[in-house]
Amino acid sequence: MPAPPLPQQLAELSELLGRMCTAASGALHRATAALLENRERLAAQVVAGDEEIDELRARVEEVAGDALLFHSPVAGDLRSVVSAIRSAGDVERMGDLALHVAEVVRMRAPGPALPAEVRPAFAEMGRVAVQLGLKAAEVARTRNVVLATELDADDDAMDVLHREMMEVLMGEDWPHGVRTAVDVTLLARYYERFADHAVVVARETVYAVTGQEPGALPI
Amino acid sequence: MRDVYQEQLDELAGALADMCTRVAEAMRKATRALLEVDLQLAEEVISEDVRIDEIRAAAEEQAFALLALQAPVATDLRIVVSAIHGAGDIERMGDLALHVAQAARRRHPHPVLPEEVAPYFAEMGTVGVQLALKAGEVIRTRDLARAAELESDDDAMDDLHRHMFSVLMDRNWSHGVGPAVDITLLARFYERYADHAVAVARRIVYVVTGQMPGPLTV
Repeated sequence: MPAPPLPQQLAELSELLGRMCTAASGALHRATAALLENRERLAAQVVAGDEEIDELRARVEEVAGDALLFHSPVAGDLRSVVSAIRSAGDVERMGDLALHVAEVVRMRAPGPALPAEVRPAFAEMGRVAVQLGLKAAEVARTRNVVLATELDADDDAMDVLHREMMEVLMGEDWPHGVRTAVDVTLLARYYERFADHAVVVARETVYAVTGQEPGALPI
Repeated sequence: MRDVYQEQLDELAGALADMCTRVAEAMRKATRALLEVDLQLAEEVISEDVRIDEIRAAAEEQAFALLALQAPVATDLRIVVSAIHGAGDIERMGDLALHVAQAARRRHPHPVLPEEVAPYFAEMGTVGVQLALKAGEVIRTRDLARAAELESDDDAMDDLHRHMFSVLMDRNWSHGVGPAVDITLLARFYERYADHAVAVARRIVYVVTGQMPGPLTV
């Protein structure tokens, strides 16, 4: 079977990346619900669902490889293919981080992983991270460069939440012991990294479309 | 013409191997800064990270030029695509060494690590540096036996990482929550550093054999 034309492959890459981001965001959304509501079965579903994201990534690499092999794209098209390869790695990692959140829920079940007073902060981190992931999905699908530049500011909100969480942990009066502190430290890190990867996906899109890093854009 | 092309491929591999040497050195210094509470050394690691990022950018440009001008196929195409992945992994290793150095700087002049956990971090540092150097060697030589070694070295890192947690969770832990939080993150940085080195080696196995050893993750 001959390879599809390049524009069709590029469209498929955008579509696949969009689907990957949506799937990773869905996974983190469910993992966060599992974490906050102590739902072990929901956590197990997140763990089982990670395979789908890995398969999408393999598909991205396959399509990208075919595009390079059969069409030898140059300039903007080449950037699109390479940035799809790189972004797929980031989105797969987003899926892994959602999986890590779910694994903590399972490890601590039937007890809750989080003390009650930090749950609102994690609900907020989950909300911000999922929103970043969904925005990255839209950027990947639509290649909207202006929307892409919003993710940096959204990520600042995550960094603030993360710093606040660390301050709570380092405070004199943390009453929940070391084990819970270790869990909270790692969980907060997973959310922060998820957001970082979503930002990278958006930056990759800006790079693919404009040939420039977002910092260089006058937006 | 063909020779120039081959030279460019070798140059690309050389740039990545050079990055590996640099991130190994960064982790060696960062670990020493951590263990010896050496602020100047920590600052060195932090300021030198820019150089690693620059080499990554240059390597990616080389990869782009190869794709655009030479339109490689088969193994050569796999080499270039793997180089793009590898450059990302190795740059991240540099970032993780940087995070270790930043932790050392943040707590200076106090040590980040209580005395009894310092030996574990010395060991994690040694294993991490070894992994980075081996990854560089695998890029240069495409030695599959060497690539396989990275998997077992990484198991050693995972064991150290797990052990670190059991020390933290032990009821005899007397240093409180603050140091435990630092140690949790630091141990994770070393573990992730090792994971990325393994990912680099796996990509080389893929270049040589056309098959990915084990899952694609990391």
